[in-house]
Amino acid sequence: MLDKPASALRIRERLIESERLMEETGCYDGITELELRNQDPLKFETLHTKLRAYCVSAREMARRISASPGVREVGEMVVAIYTPEGDAIALSNGIMVHVHTMSRFIKWMIRNGYEENPQIRDGDIFANNDAFIGTVQVPDVMDVVPIFHSGRLVGWAGAVCHELEAGGITPGGDVALAQERFTEGLFVCAEKVGENDEIRRDYVIRCERNLRMPIYWVLDEKAKVASCIDMRESVKALIDEIGLDYWMQVSKEFIEEGRRAQLARTRQLTVPGIYRGHTFYGHVTAGKPGYQPLGDPDWLYNMPIEMEITSDGKIIMDFEGTQPWGYHSMNCTPAGMDGGMFVTLTQHMNFEGLVNDGAWMATELKLPHGTWTNPDNEMVATATSWALLLPAYGVFQRLLSRSFIARGFVEEAFVGQVNSPMIEMGGTSQYGTLFGMAHFECAAAGSGALAIKDGLDTAYVGWNPESDMGNIEIWEQNMPMLYIGRSIVPNSGGAGKYRGGCSFLSTWLVSKTDHLRLVTSEHSSRVFDNGGLCGGYPAPTCQKHRAVRDTNIFELAKKGAPLAHHTGTNPYRSELEVRLEGRHVTMEGPYITAPHKTGDVFTHSYNGGGGYGDVLERDPVKTAWDVENGFLTKEAAEGIFGIMLDEDAEGFPVANLEATKRHRADMRAQRLARARPVSEWVAKERERVKVADFAPEVKKMYASAIKLSARFTRDFSIFWDVDAKSTFGVE
Amino acid sequence: MTSYSKEVIADLVGGTLPWPQTRRIMSAYKDDDRFFKYVAVLQDRVGWKDPILLPVGDHLFICQSGEERVTKCECGHCFGDYRKNWKLKAAIIVRDTEESLREIYPNSDLPDPEWMEIREFICPQCGTLHEVEAAAPGYPIVHDFEPDLEGFYRDWLGKPL
Repeated sequence: MLDKPASALRIRERLIESERLMEETGCYDGITELELRNQDPLKFETLHTKLRAYCVSAREMARRISASPGVREVGEMVVAIYTPEGDAIALSNGIMVHVHTMSRFIKWMIRNGYEENPQIRDGDIFANNDAFIGTVQVPDVMDVVPIFHSGRLVGWAGAVCHELEAGGITPGGDVALAQERFTEGLFVCAEKVGENDEIRRDYVIRCERNLRMPIYWVLDEKAKVASCIDMRESVKALIDEIGLDYWMQVSKEFIEEGRRAQLARTRQLTVPGIYRGHTFYGHVTAGKPGYQPLGDPDWLYNMPIEMEITSDGKIIMDFEGTQPWGYHSMNCTPAGMDGGMFVTLTQHMNFEGLVNDGAWMATELKLPHGTWTNPDNEMVATATSWALLLPAYGVFQRLLSRSFIARGFVEEAFVGQVNSPMIEMGGTSQYGTLFGMAHFECAAAGSGALAIKDGLDTAYVGWNPESDMGNIEIWEQNMPMLYIGRSIVPNSGGAGKYRGGCSFLSTWLVSKTDHLRLVTSEHSSRVFDNGGLCGGYPAPTCQKHRAVRDTNIFELAKKGAPLAHHTGTNPYRSELEVRLEGRHVTMEGPYITAPHKTGDVFTHSYNGGGGYGDVLERDPVKTAWDVENGFLTKEAAEGIFGIMLDEDAEGFPVANLEATKRHRADMRAQRLARARPVSEWVAKERERVKVADFAPEVKKMYASAIKLSARFTRDFSIFWDVDAKSTFGVE
Repeated sequence: MTSYSKEVIADLVGGTLPWPQTRRIMSAYKDDDRFFKYVAVLQDRVGWKDPILLPVGDHLFICQSGEERVTKCECGHCFGDYRKNWKLKAAIIVRDTEESLREIYPNSDLPDPEWMEIREFICPQCGTLHEVEAAAPGYPIVHDFEPDLEGFYRDWLGKPL
């Protein structure tokens, strides 16, 4: 039991009162006036900066404790400071997805009577990775500690690390094969895992006995607890300086100011109205080993999003019309959906520093019950929820960007994020020990284009604004594979006046192991799961995997013969096939197969971003540079963009502006000759729609959306002038 | 208050402002007088006189055309009432075969045309590619944006339409 609550109320009643005050006044915790800010704005801002500095410093310190290359190399961690009720006041950089997920975790404990049992006391450590309590996926393990001052609960410090191994049915953290909760791995469900600032030995033993690579999880626990203690002590010292009453008031004013700032920023940068967009995701698992026959093996997911910006600046996102949850690991909880919203907002709108739960309060998510966004079954798996989250919030980024373009802030318009194809592995390491790991070089995809320039090449992911692929040497220390190539993939950004950023592809030689399980997830099959904007094309994001078993690579190396370092640009015959002998494999969907061994070669490609604007407006000079540096091929420059390139005396490409002008005029004329009126196309397509002449998975997608959504049914029926229900046999 | 000249906004919109200057604009507090300067820059760019009320794409604008408010291409082609989906009055190219998809994606794995098609919405007058949809066959064409035009001018800009 709390020794002495911060107010006369116990914390659960305080939480309920805080929510009631918000509902009654429209302001966080009933803070209708920012009194302390108005009294001394400089002191107010200085204090917030200090809190943010505590967070940033604690995270940097903690990263040095971790053994995980995910945390050490690519920064898969975030820390934050919360009010006693669990609302975020200040946060560090890093995976800011989790700031509000941790808030949900704290509130869940408060609502579920943790004051009485197991009690909330100074020095306690609570952990959670249950997405239905408050995280995104099983590898996102969070720790929080209460902050007491003068015997009162005055806040919480929290930290999340993304674990590289979670002990699930397949190795790694994003457990690709999980079809239900029971195969996702080690769950810690809002547990007290430590007391008196010490992690319990029995909890550590549980981790050690249930994970393939416990050193990552256990040292990450220590890193997180260290960062929480560091923040706690800093906050206590701050309270000594400014007084407890001031702290209790100012911490709430920070949040209310964050809420107001978000609303004001929306009014400043956007245009009110309704914005719509969609994307799709293909999940193909028929015939793959390990999948239980719990549902249809192949799915086509539609993700329609309607965003409303209201006249007071509130952003409302509605996912009505999307698909039901399924027996796969891509479902998402409302906590995860919050996370996606939060990390997008922090990058797109809250770039001035004052970011906290106030920004979240200025938004609203409408998540239809029973869909993958809000499953009505808490036993569903969520281990790879990013597979659908990333494409969905890529749509959100494009919707926001259209509003920036309408308002004139073109420099903020951004075609958005793409999915992060993940490769995970386990088995016997190069040291002869058991191991398991998620490879996090995926933290550096191509970004979508901007409305004024090309996207970033191999340098951006939506889920971590500090994107970083990590050093090859570090990854090689942690897995029994050696890089024989890490290459930019030409033409992998969506085409446009400004092209999407390009992706990269890694080629590995399996080394010093006779048992390496490789598993991939979060890559779409048969459909692109991203889009372009204002005439730009989507990036080519449905990718297959290519591997060669029992290669002759060691013989080739001995002879000094050329090896394959990438798959090349011939879609019909890869460089692997050209250079290597062995059993060649091309696989669609998640890569789940028999283990690999020394001498096998495996490739894995990441995603590029979508393009912006009409391809025929692309700068020829910039394109020559792109061709010279391997971002575009000469054939693409000519065939897609209409840009004719010559070679200079040294063989480098140079744009031929006159020839380009002529070629583009021809292409434009051909475009007009090839196009037909939309009304004509709609009339013809309607005949196909009337008889539902679609692939089985497409028909199933429509039937599922129609079952779950009256609005989708109405819109579909009106657009095609059909009865959607009878067309797809829905009762 | 932050403010930039019309020339700077024109270069920014045209993608020709030097990167260090662009970067500073991205990092600075936003300029509250941006919208009308932006519209003035765009108005100079188009070859017609109808006042632009709201840009809705790279070359698409809602403008006042006599008594009507319409969606217009930069070339002057009119797509009709701005409250209706302009795409329904556009021309379209649909890429729903391996051959036609390969023209845009020369070396990648392609979508299955049974699962996804690429729809290109084009101005029937000048051939500008205004928008691309990647959608499942049979998916209704999306109405991208329905602005609250009157509310925007009245409540946010504080000016009459």
